[in-house]
Amino acid sequence: MELRSLLQRFIARPEFGPFILLAGEITVFTLLSPAFLSPGNITNLLAFTPELGMIALGMTVLMTSGEFDLSVGSVFGFTPVVMWTLYNTGAAPLELGFLIAISIAVIIGFINGWFVTKLKIPSFLVTLGMLLVIRGTALYITDGFPQARWSSDSPLLKIIVGEFTIGQIRVYASMVWFIIFAIVLGYVLTQSKAGNWIQASGGNASSALARGVRVARTKIMLFILTAVMAAFAGIASSIRVSTANPNSGTGYELEVIAMVVIGGTALNGGRGTIIGTLIGVLILRFMRNGIVLVGVPGLAYNIFIGSIILGMMALHSWLERRHHAGT
Amino acid sequence: MTNELVRMENINKFFGRVQALNDVSLSVRRNEIVGLLGDNGAGKSTLIKILSGALTADSGSIYINDQRADIRSTTDAIKYGIETIYQDSALVPQLSIARNLFLGREPIKGPRFLNRMDQKTMNEVARRLLKEVGISKDIPPNTPISSLSGGERQAVAIARALHFESNLIILDEPTNNLGVEETHGVLRFVRNARDSGHSCIFIAHNIYHVFQVVDRIVVLRRGKKVADDIDPKKTTIEQVEKIITGLAEVPA
Repeated sequence: MELRSLLQRFIARPEFGPFILLAGEITVFTLLSPAFLSPGNITNLLAFTPELGMIALGMTVLMTSGEFDLSVGSVFGFTPVVMWTLYNTGAAPLELGFLIAISIAVIIGFINGWFVTKLKIPSFLVTLGMLLVIRGTALYITDGFPQARWSSDSPLLKIIVGEFTIGQIRVYASMVWFIIFAIVLGYVLTQSKAGNWIQASGGNASSALARGVRVARTKIMLFILTAVMAAFAGIASSIRVSTANPNSGTGYELEVIAMVVIGGTALNGGRGTIIGTLIGVLILRFMRNGIVLVGVPGLAYNIFIGSIILGMMALHSWLERRHHAGT
Repeated sequence: MTNELVRMENINKFFGRVQALNDVSLSVRRNEIVGLLGDNGAGKSTLIKILSGALTADSGSIYINDQRADIRSTTDAIKYGIETIYQDSALVPQLSIARNLFLGREPIKGPRFLNRMDQKTMNEVARRLLKEVGISKDIPPNTPISSLSGGERQAVAIARALHFESNLIILDEPTNNLGVEETHGVLRFVRNARDSGHSCIFIAHNIYHVFQVVDRIVVLRRGKKVADDIDPKKTTIEQVEKIITGLAEVPA
């Protein structure tokens, strides 16, 4: 009896659908290709996961508050370009360059948030504009060429993406950062007063305001958080692949939003789950990796992603309706 | 010391070129329930929103306990002890009952920087409050508002006003969309609130409900106050209806 009610509680959670999908996906890929769970492939899977994952974490809390950010991909590309340009031209040591790049992300996030909350322009339009401005700036200051000729032994590089191995699997420090950020944001969203404000801002902004919740300030902080996460992810990525390409991160915004909604966070706010996002990130990363391993042409990737999004949305809406059937 | 809790003086409010309120004054005494009536667009909601801080007046002043009060936001109004229960009951549907009750005033447990909500206290208080406002069904405090009925939602909003010691409770159409039993619950609450020392402003389309509980009726018509001191015990509903629609003038 006890076990049964526990099982029912588990099934009722919004993360249940994505969890089953992830389990099914792993099963299918493992059966079709034994290489899927090999140490080499897991290393491969874990390398890129924290980079998109960190952006997805920021996006999850932002979307819970009822907004989203299309400029994350361009911030991902732009901030490492700033850091490495400053360093390569000798204008600043790497650590200072890092701080400047993060500060720029803070400013970008603030401007996004300010436009959305004070000028009341939908976040779609504001962040679309910001996407173009940032991407354009990145291309302009680099003439479109990647920043690649550096050598540095700054400890910062080790702290952000130092490598270590667990068994036969190689892990980057960015994975550790990703896990830390996930735990912190999971705590904030479910346990803290700030989390209550975030959900209230997304659920019913006017009544939250009527209760004295500082909705605008909450949203601006979350825009800043999202931009900083994207910048940190971009910098980690640039160190890992030893190049800062002004074009990198193109299209990430949509992939990240897909990860977040597949995980069970509502596109229009009020409900968000960090655990769901972790599952959503893994679903899409495994899918991208797995379909290549089992021999599906890589170009067909988007067909699967699109179908998963549609399928999960149908499931979520069905669960939602069933949930409200009694009222 | 006068017996006045709140006094709004010469309030004017424009929306573009439309004058929503024209030199309206309103006062509420301690332990008094004032019924605010008027047709659609008469300015009731605008007046109330100014008092609760959701809107600011273009001119005019508000006094609370004879002190000039500067209400620029809903937070200010709450600080002055003014609680508002709106038509849509102003709850966040996705959040639980307990989280809604304490929204904006969550109790914190442990070190400040951890910003951790005291969910245990919140749930305990919520369970007790729900009983007080007459929900006999055993609803767990972590139930989201979206799965409650209209009356239950209203009860949660009322429980919130009761819990946070407020001087003045504004009820904006609290009986809309409610069943018979739930409506009685709300009216009973309004009487209890007066008995326990609160003042209320009660706004409703349904004049019968207003007549059952209020001490004094104020009528607005097209942004102007047309009646201030109608005693529901000495006036008929028909007379008041005529004043609201403008068919009759106020009895001298």
